[in-house]
Amino acid sequence: MLVIDSIRKQFGDLVAVDSVSLSIAAGEIFGLLGPNGAGKTTTVNMCVGLLRPDRGSIAIGDTGDPTNKDVRRLVGVAPQSLAIYDEMSGRENVTFFGKMQGLRGSELKERVAWALEFVGLADRQQDKASEYSGGMKRRLNLAIAVVHKPKLLLLDEPTVGVDPQSRNAIFEHILALREMDTTIIYTTHYMEEAQRLCDRVGIMDRGNLLAIDSVDGLIETHGGASRVIATRPDGEAVEMQTDDPLAELQRLQSNGGLQTFHVERANLETVFLNLTGRALRDE
Amino acid sequence: MNEIIALAAKDLRMLLRDKAGFFFAFVFPVVYASFFGMIMSGMGGGGSSGIYVVVVDEDQTEGSAAFVRQLSDLDALNVITTGRDEAQDLVRRGKRAAMLVLPTGFGKARAEIFGNPPEVGLGIDPARAAETGMLQGILMGELFGDLQRVFTDPTAMAGQLDSTIDEVRNAEDIDPLTKTTLLTFLPALKTFMTKMPDLQNDDSNDGGEGTNNAAGFMQPKIEKIDILPQRDGPQSAYEITLAQGAVWGIMGCAAGFGISLVVERTRGTLVRLRMAPISLWQVLAGKGVACFFTTMTVGIGLFVFAAIVFGVRPHSYAMLAIALVCVSFAFVGIMMMLAVMGKTEQAAGGIGWAILVVLAMIGGGMMPLAFMPAWMQDVAVISPIKWSILAMEGAMWRAFSPTEMLTPCLVLIGIGIGCFGMGAKVFKATV
Repeated sequence: MLVIDSIRKQFGDLVAVDSVSLSIAAGEIFGLLGPNGAGKTTTVNMCVGLLRPDRGSIAIGDTGDPTNKDVRRLVGVAPQSLAIYDEMSGRENVTFFGKMQGLRGSELKERVAWALEFVGLADRQQDKASEYSGGMKRRLNLAIAVVHKPKLLLLDEPTVGVDPQSRNAIFEHILALREMDTTIIYTTHYMEEAQRLCDRVGIMDRGNLLAIDSVDGLIETHGGASRVIATRPDGEAVEMQTDDPLAELQRLQSNGGLQTFHVERANLETVFLNLTGRALRDE
Repeated sequence: MNEIIALAAKDLRMLLRDKAGFFFAFVFPVVYASFFGMIMSGMGGGGSSGIYVVVVDEDQTEGSAAFVRQLSDLDALNVITTGRDEAQDLVRRGKRAAMLVLPTGFGKARAEIFGNPPEVGLGIDPARAAETGMLQGILMGELFGDLQRVFTDPTAMAGQLDSTIDEVRNAEDIDPLTKTTLLTFLPALKTFMTKMPDLQNDDSNDGGEGTNNAAGFMQPKIEKIDILPQRDGPQSAYEITLAQGAVWGIMGCAAGFGISLVVERTRGTLVRLRMAPISLWQVLAGKGVACFFTTMTVGIGLFVFAAIVFGVRPHSYAMLAIALVCVSFAFVGIMMMLAVMGKTEQAAGGIGWAILVVLAMIGGGMMPLAFMPAWMQDVAVISPIKWSILAMEGAMWRAFSPTEMLTPCLVLIGIGIGCFGMGAKVFKATV
C-alpha cells in the first residue's frame, strides 16, 4: 500500500529525516515510535504530500506520488493538533471536510452519517465543536479523517491529551478500521499503544529509522534479557537477568524454594533504550 | 470551483457566528456613518441647527418684533425670546451661546436713516467665543441690511424724509440758517427719490449687472459658481460620511479575514486543507471569495440602510456598484497581505490594524482630505483608503463621468492584484 524508498528531508542544517525506507502492506497497522523530534511527523507529512522529500520517493497504492491530487484522495489524516472548527457543529465540520475530499450529494450525507456514527458522535452531531470534551474532539478529528473512506489512514499522536475512556474508544475505532482493510500508520511516543495496536513498529530517532519489526520481534532482537525478581522463604531477595525466565524460576524453586517472584520482560521502552542509549521519554 | 464555494460558505458561516466579527463588519460601519452624519448635519443637538441665541425685546414695538422675526428666519440662528434675567441665567448656565438685548427705542432707531443708529446689547458665553464672533457678523449684516432696505426702497425713503422734514420744521433747537438749509435740501432729496421708480425701470441707465436700483447704490452681486456640474454637491452630510463608514466596515472585514487565515494556520485546519486533494490557490481563492462577498454585503447594506433611513440617493447606481466592486477587490488583496503580517493572530491583528489605521489617517478615512494640509493630501495617493473614498464619492455625489471614475477604479484593481499576488506568494512560502 505504501512504499517509502530512501527519503531524506532537511530544514536548514537540521536533517529531519534521513534515508528512511519501509514498505507497508494493505490492512496493516504500522506504528512509528519515537520521541518528539524524532522525524515521525515529517515522515507523515511527506507521505501525505505536504512536503516533498529532498531525496528518495514515496508511492501510495498503484497511483504513486502523494503530491498528486488523485493520490491524496486515497489518504486520510488525523493531525496531532485538533484541526477542527470550534465554531461549527460536529456535523458541519465533517460535512465541510467531506466536500474538500470531493464528496457530494447523497454520498456525502451517507458518509458523514457513517463517520459520526463510527466515532460515537451521532447523538452530539448538532453541538458546536467548542462544546465537546477533549476526547470527543479527538474522535471528531478521526471522523473527519475517515469520512471519505481512505485506503491509507495516518494518525499522528491521536491520543494526546485524551482520558483513558476516550483512548480505549479510539483504539476500538482503529481496530475496526483494520477490519475494513484500511492501512494505518500510527505515530506515537506511547509504547503501550504501539504494543497494543500495531502489527509492526518502526523505531525512529533523530531522523533515522533504527529498526522495523513486529513488537515481539523487536523485543527478541533488541530487548535484551528478562529480569527475574524473587524472594526466598527465609526473606532473602534474589534478582537476575536471563533469556529464559521460566527455566531460571524452576531452578530457584528446586534449589531452596520461592516465597514470591515476578518477571520483568523486555518491552519497547527497553528496545528503544538499547537502540539509542536513552529512554523514550527523556526529552 | 465547488471546493472554493464550500470554503467561502464555511468562512461566511463562521463570520455570522462570531459576534465581535459580525459587529465590526456589519454594525460598526452603520453606527460610524450615522454618528458622524448626525454631527455634520447638526442633528446631534436634538433640534434645529444654528447658534442658540436668546433675545430680550425691551422695546416691544412693531419694529423690534419685526427684527426678532427677521433673526428667527435665519438658518444660522436658533432664537428664543425671554426676559432679561432668564436670558442671563440661560447664558450663564451654558444653555444659550449669547443673549441679545433690544433696548427701548430700538425699533424707531432701526427705521431711521438720520439720527441715532440702532443699538443692541450682546451678552456672550466666554466659552463660545467662536460662535459669538459669527453671531456678531450676522447681527451687523442684518442691521446694515435694514439701512440698505430703506435706501433701496423709494417709498420707505420718502416716508422717512417726510418724518424728518416735520421734525426739522418743529425743532426749536436748530439755528435758522441750518433749518432753512435742511428744509431746502430734504424736500429736494424727496423729489429725487420719488423719481427713482422711473430710473429703476430705465434699462438705458442700467450700467449692467450689479446695478439694480435707481438710488444708485451698487449692490454687490455675488454669483454662485457651481463646482459640480450636474449635482449640487452632497444632499446631506450622510453622503459624505457614508463612504468613510463603508471603508471602515470594509477594513474590518479585510482585517478579520486576514486574521482568520492566520487562525487556520495556527490551529491546524490549514494543514488539513492542504492534505485534501485541493491546491493552496483554491484555499486562498475560497478565502478571497468570502472576503469579497462580505465587503460587498457591507457596502451594499450600508448604502441601502442610508437610503432608507437618511434618504440618501447616489448620483449613479451603476457607478456605485462598480466602485464597490473595485473597493472590495482591492481589500481582498489587502486581506491577503495582512494574513502574512504575523505568525499569530494577535501579531497579525495588531500589525494589520496599525497599518490600516495609518492608511485611513492619511487617506481621509478619519478626517476628510480637504481639511488636511497640502502635503498630506499629496501623501494620500499611496493610501487605498483615499481611492476607495474617492470612487464611492464619485458615484455618490461628485458626479464622476465614466472617464473620471476610471482612475480610482484602476488604482484599486491594481492594489488588489498586487497585494493578493505578493501576499499569496509570501503565504505559500511560509506555510
